[in-house]
Formats: sequence, C-alpha cells, structure tokens
Amino acid sequence: MITKPSFFIQLGILTKRLILRVLRRPLAELPNIFISAFFLFVYDGALGGVFGGTASGTPFDFANGNFVNFILPVSIVSASLSGAASGIYLVEDIESGVFKRYQSMPISRWVIILAPMIVGAIRVLLQASLIMLIGKIIGADPAVGTVGFLIVLSLAFIWGMGFAGYSVAAGVKSGSSQGAQAATFLFFPAIFLAPTFVPREALKGWLETAAAYNPTTYVIESMRSVMVEGWVIDVLFRGYLAAGIFAAITLFFAVISARKATEKA
Amino acid sequence: MLAVEVKNIKKTFKTKKDTVEAVKDVSFSVEKGEIFGLLGPNGAGKSTTILMLTTLLRITDGEATILGSDVATEDKSVREKIGVALQDTGIDNILTGRELFFSTARLWGYSTKDSETRTNELLELVGLTEAADRRVKTYSGGMKRRLDLGLSLVNSPEILFLDEPTTGLDPGSRRVLWDEIKRLRDRGVTVILTTQYLEEADELADRIAIIDEGLVVAEGTSDQLKASIGGDVITFSFSNKLDLENAKKILNDCKQEGNDLRITVQDGAGKIPSFVNELTANNIEIEAVSASKPTLDDVFLKVTGYRLEGSETSTKSEEVFGENQ
Ligand SMILES: Nc1ncnc2c1ncn2[C@@H]1O[C@H](COP(=O)(O)OP(=O)(O)OP(=O)(O)O)[C@@H](O)[C@H]1O
Ligand SMILES: [Mg+2]
Repeated sequence: MITKPSFFIQLGILTKRLILRVLRRPLAELPNIFISAFFLFVYDGALGGVFGGTASGTPFDFANGNFVNFILPVSIVSASLSGAASGIYLVEDIESGVFKRYQSMPISRWVIILAPMIVGAIRVLLQASLIMLIGKIIGADPAVGTVGFLIVLSLAFIWGMGFAGYSVAAGVKSGSSQGAQAATFLFFPAIFLAPTFVPREALKGWLETAAAYNPTTYVIESMRSVMVEGWVIDVLFRGYLAAGIFAAITLFFAVISARKATEKA
Repeated sequence: MLAVEVKNIKKTFKTKKDTVEAVKDVSFSVEKGEIFGLLGPNGAGKSTTILMLTTLLRITDGEATILGSDVATEDKSVREKIGVALQDTGIDNILTGRELFFSTARLWGYSTKDSETRTNELLELVGLTEAADRRVKTYSGGMKRRLDLGLSLVNSPEILFLDEPTTGLDPGSRRVLWDEIKRLRDRGVTVILTTQYLEEADELADRIAIIDEGLVVAEGTSDQLKASIGGDVITFSFSNKLDLENAKKILNDCKQEGNDLRITVQDGAGKIPSFVNELTANNIEIEAVSASKPTLDDVFLKVTGYRLEGSETSTKSEEVFGENQ
C-alpha cells in the first residue's frame, strides 16, 4: 500500500506546505513589496521631473524621456531581495524541530533544502511582477518592447536566487533566523553603492569605484539597457553574467552548508 | 528477532570549548511488543540515546540494531520501520492538524485517497477530530503531545520511540496518553519511551532501564528492580537530632534522609515492634514509623545514591548547589 513517493511528489508536498505558510502570513510579505513600490513612486516623483520626462533635452536626460523606465530596475532589484526568505524558512524549520522530523522520515535531504528555495523563487517572481505591473501602470515602456519586461523579470529571478542562496548559507551557518535575516543587511550596500539614481558616469570618484565592484551595478545596468536604450548586447550579457556568478557562488555555499545541516553530528 | 538491541553505545559531543560524553555506555534490548522505559534525570543522556537509535545522530562507538537492521549502516530501512516523537516537538504551528496528518501521510507514500483515510483514522485515535481544522498554534500542550504521537504513527511503525511523551502534562492528560500508548502496545507496537517520572515508568513500562550520567545503572521489570532492594523499607522519623544520632548507632545499615532513617529488611511490618522496643529501651523518642514495599524511588536511590523526585532533602541538585531548597 505504501510506496516511497518520488522525489517530485516529496518536493511538491514540502513546497505546498511552505506556500500555505506564506499565504497564512500575508502581512509578512508586505514590507518588501511596500519598500519596492515606495522606491518606484518616490524616486519617480522626486527625481523624474529633474532627470527625465519634462527635463528632456537638458544634459541630464539619460532616461530618454521616460524616468520610470530608468528607475524601475532599482525597484525590481529591491523586490528580488525577497528571495532571502528562503533561508528564513529553512532556519525556522531547524529551530522549531520540523527539520528533524523530516530527517527521521525517508525523505530526500535535497528536497528539504530545495523546497524553501523554490518558494523563495516564487516570491521573487510574484513581487517583481507586481512591481513591474505598477511600473507599467505609471508609464514604464521598455525600449525593446514588451519582451523587455520578461528580460528584466528573468534577471530579477537569477538575482533573487543569489540572495536566496546567501540567506540559506548565512542562516544555516549561524543556526538562527537572525542569521538568515542578516541577509537583508546586504540590501543597503547592494542597492546604494550602485548607479541607483544616475548612470555610473555621473557618480563621484569613490562611489564609482565601489559601484564597479558591486554586481548589482551590472544587473541594474543590464535591466536599464533594455528599458531605456534597446538591445545593447554586451551590457545585457554582463548583467546575466554578474547575476549568474553571484547566484552560482551563493548556491554553492548554500549547498555546502545545507549538507552540513543535514549531516548527522 | 529482538525489536531493539543496543550494545555499548557511546556518544561524545565535541564543542569548541570541551568534549561532552553525553552517553558513556548504554546497552539494553527490547522484545517485540513491549513498552520499554528509559528512566533518568535531566541530562542523563535519554534524548541523545533516542536520537542515535532513530538515526538522527551518529553513534560514536558501539552498535545498535532495530529489527535486525543496523542503525549506522542501514539507516534508510531503519527509518521505514520506526516512528519518532522527539522531545522538542517539531510541529508546524501555522498548519492545521488535518493538514499535518495529510501531508505526513503523503510523504510516507500513501496515495491521496489513502492519506485522507489515514488522517481521519489517526485524528480519531488521538482524539483530535474536533480540533482537526484548527491551526496547531491554538492547541493546548496536551493536544500537541497527542498530535505528535499521532504523527509518529502515520507509517504504522512496528517500533515507536517517544522521548518524554508526557513531560509538562497534567495528571489527567498524562493518563490519557498512557492509555493510548498501552493500546498501541496491545496492538503489537513496540514502544521505547523515556521519562523522568518514576510513576510513569512504574505504570507504563513492561521493563525499565535506569540511566544516569550516560550509563545504564539498572535494568529489569519494575518488580525485579524493587525486589533487588532485598526486602521492605522501614522508615523512622525523629523530632530531634540527638535521637536521630543515637538511633543511627542502634539501627545497623540504615540510611539517613533528613530527619528520617531507613532500613531495608525482610518482612518489614513484622519487625517494627522489635525495633521500636529496642529504640525506646534506649530512651530514643520516635515520632513516626512505617513499613512499605520498596518503590522505584528506593531503587533509584540505591543505584545512583540520590533520589529522582519526592524527598526534597536528598535530591541531587541540592548536593550540587548546596543551599538550593
Ligand atoms: N549537541 C550537543 N552538544 C553538546 N552537548 C550535548 C548536546 N546534546 C546533548 N548534550 C549534553 O549531553 C548530556 C545528555 O543530554 P540529553 O539531552 O541526552 O539528556 P536527557 O536525558 O534527554 O535530559 P532531559 O531530561 O533534560 O531531556 C547533557 O549534559 C547535554 O548537555
Ligand atoms: Mg531529553
């Protein structure tokens, strides 16, 4: 009567469980969505008049007349930080002992790690899509056409997975949800040591140098290229490369730390 | 085949500061269909033993088999045969009882339909049908323990490990759980449980191993253990120190506990008059005297040198901390 459930059934069950948990704590989702949307409105409101739109024709017009296009990637990148929830889910389960219960059952250990990653990914996609929708409503219009939204979304996804991996590694290593939460600490340097409000050329000396070492820079520039300019293949490619390398590195550490967590002491 | 066979297992934890020998040398065997109790105080190594036997901790040294499968090398097949309810319960607070049973059944490999059936059966078994659709967050401590027990039964395990299943429950809820555990035993499930309650070991366990500081210090049925005391216990109480000191010289092989002296003799009730005569003849005033069959507490005192519970004057914590009342 009992047959060992396949890997995918196990994954489905654990993923569903986490999704239920997210749905039952909807308020926990709000802060990040709010911050991202806030960026979009406030920066557009405060800076849009100066830099883009009505200021077109001035030397400051690097947004090709549409500042929403220019600032949307910042909000998207901020939304993609919601991937950091993965580590928090995992650590909550370790702290509550649910993790041990799963370990005492014949469940693949990979499933236990993968499920929170998937839910983190879903969060990233949903939050980024929502922000994008808001952006579209207030006038975002990718230079490369609608496919631009999909490109931005895919970059956000890879970037979000990088943060998910980081939070899993940090959480498991510290063994506390504070450790996983600390992943969001990276948020400020990641977002602001970057060409957030103006193109990199317009940054002052030290900030320009810092931004050059910040992978967020390349992700934002890549998103911007499709939103503002059109197909600039090398910039686009650099964005995928930066996000991809970041994700690969953090996922590698997540896997190592997860293996440690599931190992018997 | 034995349900559980444990041979000289050890567990050493290495932390940054020092190494802890949580389990020094534990051996016991459990027959199929019995309730086996591991009785011991806080820190005795009960949980560590359970975690090793349920494949959740690596055994440092020694070996253990569950229904013939080696815990260290055949951990997969061991996990399929056992049910586990750990001490710090891993329960998903935000899900409902029904959801927890259902998803656990699915994870064990039941079809969707069978999982539903199993869920209803188990909710009924542990008396949570009424509360099934409430989030676990709203359950009382007793309900959570019953839920935990139910979850450990989803795969119809042949061997069930329960780590302190009744700690923190009121006497009523404790009894409900005891009855459930006995019913399981009557259906053929082998149960290994840990407890720090003498009464629980006495009432529930068919056989008991007393564990202290990582060592098994006594093993047997409750009656065997009590018989090992070698007779009945007579307790003399004195109202002043002088009488007590004098009495000590007269009563051979007595043990002092606060203002009481205890001796172990055959036929305790029959011997009381002669002891009383002898003491009064020496002008010693006795406040009270009684004879009783030995309890597990007496056994515990004999094998460990301190009491697990009850008498406040000779608990271990007092030996360690001095002024702690
Ligand atoms: N992971 C660990 N690292 C270091 N020491 C540990 C670890 N787990 C347990 N110990 C130590 O091992 C000893 C036995 O612990 P264990 O949890 O097995 O006791 P117990 O009998 O279950 O006690 P209790 O009744 O309090 O649950 C204790 O001294 C404890 O501090
Ligand atoms: Mg314990």
